[in-house]
Amino acid sequence: MRSEWVLPKGHLSYWLRQLRNRASLIAPLRVDGDIVFKSLENIHEVSLDNPALLPSPKEFLLPQQEGMFWTEGERIRPLLNKERRFIFGVRSCDVSALGLLDRFFLEGYGDPFYRERRRNTIFLSIVCNNPDPTCFCIGLGTGPYLEKGFDIQLTDLGDRYFVQAGNRQSQRLVRQWSFLFTTPRKVDYEDQYEVFLSSKARFQKRISLESVREYILAGKVRDSFWESVSERCFECGGCVYECPLCTCFTVTDRSYSFGTERVRLWDTCLFKGFTRMAGGVLPNEKRVLRTKRWYYHKLVHYPDVLGSFGCVGCGRCTVTCPGRIDMATIAIKLRDLQDNGR
Amino acid sequence: MAVRERNNIYLPVKAEVVEKRHLSADVSLFTVRPDVPFDYRPGQFFMVSLWGAGEVPISVASLRKEGAKRSQQGGDLIEFCIRKAGKVTSLIHDVEKGGFLWIRGPYGRSFPLEYATGREMLVVGGGIGLAPLRPVIQWALRERNSIKKVSLLYGARTPDDLIFRDDLKRWAESGVNVVLTVDRATDGWDGNLGVVTTLWHKSEIDFREAVSFICGPEVMIRSAINDLFFFGMPEDRIITTLEAHMKCGVGKCGHCYAGRLYICTDGPVFSFREIKEHNLL
Repeated sequence: MRSEWVLPKGHLSYWLRQLRNRASLIAPLRVDGDIVFKSLENIHEVSLDNPALLPSPKEFLLPQQEGMFWTEGERIRPLLNKERRFIFGVRSCDVSALGLLDRFFLEGYGDPFYRERRRNTIFLSIVCNNPDPTCFCIGLGTGPYLEKGFDIQLTDLGDRYFVQAGNRQSQRLVRQWSFLFTTPRKVDYEDQYEVFLSSKARFQKRISLESVREYILAGKVRDSFWESVSERCFECGGCVYECPLCTCFTVTDRSYSFGTERVRLWDTCLFKGFTRMAGGVLPNEKRVLRTKRWYYHKLVHYPDVLGSFGCVGCGRCTVTCPGRIDMATIAIKLRDLQDNGR
Repeated sequence: MAVRERNNIYLPVKAEVVEKRHLSADVSLFTVRPDVPFDYRPGQFFMVSLWGAGEVPISVASLRKEGAKRSQQGGDLIEFCIRKAGKVTSLIHDVEKGGFLWIRGPYGRSFPLEYATGREMLVVGGGIGLAPLRPVIQWALRERNSIKKVSLLYGARTPDDLIFRDDLKRWAESGVNVVLTVDRATDGWDGNLGVVTTLWHKSEIDFREAVSFICGPEVMIRSAINDLFFFGMPEDRIITTLEAHMKCGVGKCGHCYAGRLYICTDGPVFSFREIKEHNLL
């Protein structure tokens, strides 16, 4: 089955409108100056001229808070979210993150709440032709375009989109409205390649997390370094909430007069109470242990366990962190230390 | 319960409390009969919950018996030893005989009991840490023909804090070398004083040949494993079980994450070698 097409730009809104008839269509919208992913009422609201830095679509698979069960007496009802969604305008880095989230949540003990949401969501991602100064996906192979792992990938070629479908489910979304699409010609491939090259050339940050990892594993990074990092941590949790790969959650029960809901909420390993045990023992009471844990998880343990870094180079923590101890800054600091032969 | 629903790893099963025994001022033993049978081994744990209160990880305090008295319907009896330590466990303590708990599991790695076959077994417990070790001793007594000797060193804060006193007596009568100690004596106590790690000489164990199973407060585990290693016990045969805050029990919530491992799915049972390798203590 063919998986590549060209979509004239004038046909995009028609196609999106057709998609919206099948499922809810979520896309970046400008709301009071902020860009947020929201369910679309009016197709023309779609904001296509976005900076690369959009919110992570993680919230549609692992919401900030999500009901798990509802109980009344002894009757228990799992609250599986079966809403069908198309999420349009997602970035390559976030699609790369999804591949890892899928492995994390679905391998071993499969998470039923994540599985149900994931099964019903199709992501339409856009190749970044204009990366932000904070972006560093290029060093990780998680962007600005993807070779695989996407549902539908669109490349903006000026007056038309190059459309690629990564699986059968997505191919059907094109074939159902095949009259909108044309067969790619040689010039389309050439233009797409040019967009890839010019996008790559625009990256300002070139970071190799691989060399940072090697440096850490060689035992060259002293605890005093992590001490100085943790001194700058405000424990706001911003990096964790923004990170497309941070998945920690807590579970709590909420009782009402007519029943009880078991809810899960985002949680943060940077909070002191995160590991509080029975009797009030705090294994990670020292802040440096928590800061170090976050970096080790992403730079050392993630590759050990899943074969990829726990970072896709989206740069959100760079924008969010008030203490300027985000992934990119720390990686650059460690690289400088390394270059100075320390 | 429908089969499809049982595929939900977070969905607990109802378990009736058929017996509740007070073991000390703040520790009770709950014997429950779940609606469906569970297959579990010593060292594993369940997530025990009350709707409206929350879930807590509790290790099994009983040995699943072969040919045990099967209940009329549902599964075998399971025992959970629970200390009143926080909000959820306090509310669980309010549940009386005939009430219900909700359980899911079993989770985690069990004790490698087979290491004890043909060897001497040293069990070291502190406080409520005896709970997960109880099925280990029960197993050893069941398999007594293949185990050379069983020695238990057990300590608590005061004589009243020693739990499973009936069992301790029974085990001593069955040939287990039971050595008890308390931090603080009260009237009527003429036994040992001090922490368990001052009692190695009373264990009557050949440390180099034995296997040890340890559970208790973190400081106790720390000094016990270091002592035993110093005495020449191979690091693979120094086995302990670690405690951590958990919300899911299945490696997703991230709370028990420590040095590349999840205590819930990679543990909670670890050997001294693994503890050193992953910097767990």
